[in-house]
Amino acid sequence: MTPETSSPIKAKPPVAQIEQELEQKAFKLSEWMAQQGIFLFTAVLVLFALVFIDGFASLPNLTDVFNRAAPIGIVAAGMTFVVISGNYLDLSVVAQVATAAVVLIAVTNAVGLVPAILFAILIALVYGIVNGIAVGVFKANAVIVTLSTTFIGLGILRWLTGGSIYFGDSDGPIRTFGTTRIGPLPLAMILFIVVTLLLSLVLTRTNFGFMVRAYGSNREATRLAGVNTPLVVIGAFTMSALGAMLGGFVLAAFSNTAVSAMSTGYDFRALAAIIVGGTSVFGGRGSVMRTLLGVVFVSVLTNIMVLSGLGFGFQQMAIGLLIVLAVSVDALARKTRVS
Amino acid sequence: MTQTQTEPQLPSGEESATSTSDGLVARVRLILARRTEGRAVALLMVVWVFTLIFEPLVWTSYEVTLGRISLVGLVALGLTAVILMGELDLAVASTLAVSGVIMASFDSLAVGVLAALATGLIVGAVNAFFVVVVGINSFIATLGMLFFLRGAAFVISNEAPVRIADVDAGIAFGQPIIGPLTPRMLIFIAAFVALYIFLSHVRVGREFYAVGGNRQAARDAGIPVTRRVFTGFMISGFIASLAGVINTLERTAADPTAGSTVLLASFAAAIIGGVLLNGGRGSVFGTLIGASALGMLQVALTLSGVQVDVQNIVIGSVLLLAVITDPSSLRAAAVTARALVRSRSERQPTG
Repeated sequence: MTPETSSPIKAKPPVAQIEQELEQKAFKLSEWMAQQGIFLFTAVLVLFALVFIDGFASLPNLTDVFNRAAPIGIVAAGMTFVVISGNYLDLSVVAQVATAAVVLIAVTNAVGLVPAILFAILIALVYGIVNGIAVGVFKANAVIVTLSTTFIGLGILRWLTGGSIYFGDSDGPIRTFGTTRIGPLPLAMILFIVVTLLLSLVLTRTNFGFMVRAYGSNREATRLAGVNTPLVVIGAFTMSALGAMLGGFVLAAFSNTAVSAMSTGYDFRALAAIIVGGTSVFGGRGSVMRTLLGVVFVSVLTNIMVLSGLGFGFQQMAIGLLIVLAVSVDALARKTRVS
Repeated sequence: MTQTQTEPQLPSGEESATSTSDGLVARVRLILARRTEGRAVALLMVVWVFTLIFEPLVWTSYEVTLGRISLVGLVALGLTAVILMGELDLAVASTLAVSGVIMASFDSLAVGVLAALATGLIVGAVNAFFVVVVGINSFIATLGMLFFLRGAAFVISNEAPVRIADVDAGIAFGQPIIGPLTPRMLIFIAAFVALYIFLSHVRVGREFYAVGGNRQAARDAGIPVTRRVFTGFMISGFIASLAGVINTLERTAADPTAGSTVLLASFAAAIIGGVLLNGGRGSVFGTLIGASALGMLQVALTLSGVQVDVQNIVIGSVLLLAVITDPSSLRAAAVTARALVRSRSERQPTG
């Protein structure tokens, strides 16, 4: 990849070199699939949908696909930080998205928009810090930690709301945000693109982003380099929480309603989008832009299934399978890198 | 990695103290240092005291309590086998749901039960395949399976509860047969005894500890690690499907959404019972104590009219507490705290 790695190969005797080259060629497919496969898969999937699925190519359907993709995309963009930091995923986005949506509508109705947003930010920070401390300071398993915070968070939300539906003001600011379009694009879509670009810049251009990537590829080295690693983990989980919050806002704005059960499936859709995009679940490798592609893939796939009359059960099966397959490809590619 | 190696030195250091005069105290401390069930015992004590004071009904209607402990405990027992090897099986909840649905969709009860149990074994084998052959982290592999199987349960059942063919058999299954013990409790006791014997007296089971403690060392010592991981996941899958069968029989219908609370409670039971997530340490007794504490807690909350949502908050908090009070977690936190203090004291003279 870099000149540093290629020079020792040249110094090796020819036989070993040939062997190594053969080995690399044999495994190249998985490496290529893990890195570039998403471009091909997305193209094939979209082509397939265009040719075989009735009603896919219509403008209302495509708008619907992207509208549905916006909240998941924002959630996935934030969660990408957690995955790249090598902490697998943040399951608690399910609770966070629903909480943010309910808070936005319920508190706006009761007090006003600004207090609602401030309160939602506060909740997001609490989620980020609690998850981050448990994973970063106590080095507890991220899956178990976020599984328990999901149950705690959803439990609190359902307990306080009683599972009731909240309706926004019919000409309030939330409704306006959900329906405003700039040209053909809904405002939420533009927010999605802006957030993705912003988070991408944070990951690639800032010190924090660099530390997240470094921590994901080698924890011990990052710690020895003097980085405050618990803070990096807390930061990654806070980015995920803020993404989930914005995702919840967008979700609430689209329908101008909020209910605690509205975010079902966001955990695995977001994870599938991140992994399919080519971000490694082993940490250290990946980008927010890849997640964007993954979101397109997952959204188109879901849309195809909906149009073909396949229900939530089939969608769960497909996305579960997708996660396992994508991680398998990643694992095989990783084996070639190590050897 | 180094942490797991330093750990056994703690008891051996205590051992030298046994030769001195206060041998009994040291011996007790040695036994305590070797055990991992401390947190579960503490939780059980707290639950005991609270239920005796506030909800004595937990004790008088012990059939209900025992039934709950059996349900939580059975799944947790299967998890214990997997966690001992340093892996995790998140798919248990969906395995429970899907095997129940599969069982109910057969006309013959016996065939249905066999098909359900076979499903559990197959799921376990598939999980193990992805973990040891493909080399995916078990959290992610079994998480994917969790989603896949939950979807499968929805698809097979058409997203609605399925009645079992022989409702009378289901009702009969819920009745006590020996004293107050229902078949569910007897199966739990049998599974507990079997797993205890397997993990502590059978060579294959004892090797689980070696695989979890240090996989490379286990491999070098000639232990067939791949086969052991397959065995572990298949035990977990089988027990989860057994729990699904029992659940379906007792309710006379299979619910595709079953098991999400069981997932949380059984994880909490195994982890607070001292089964180390890194593998290699823990016992089925710890899981039993943890399951008892959580089962009693759930029954107490239900009997005092606490909503399911609040119960989820309580159980979730117990699980969160259980993972962060894990010995290795506490050690990691202590290291961070010490580093923080040191950097403070270094900064002060210069600043």
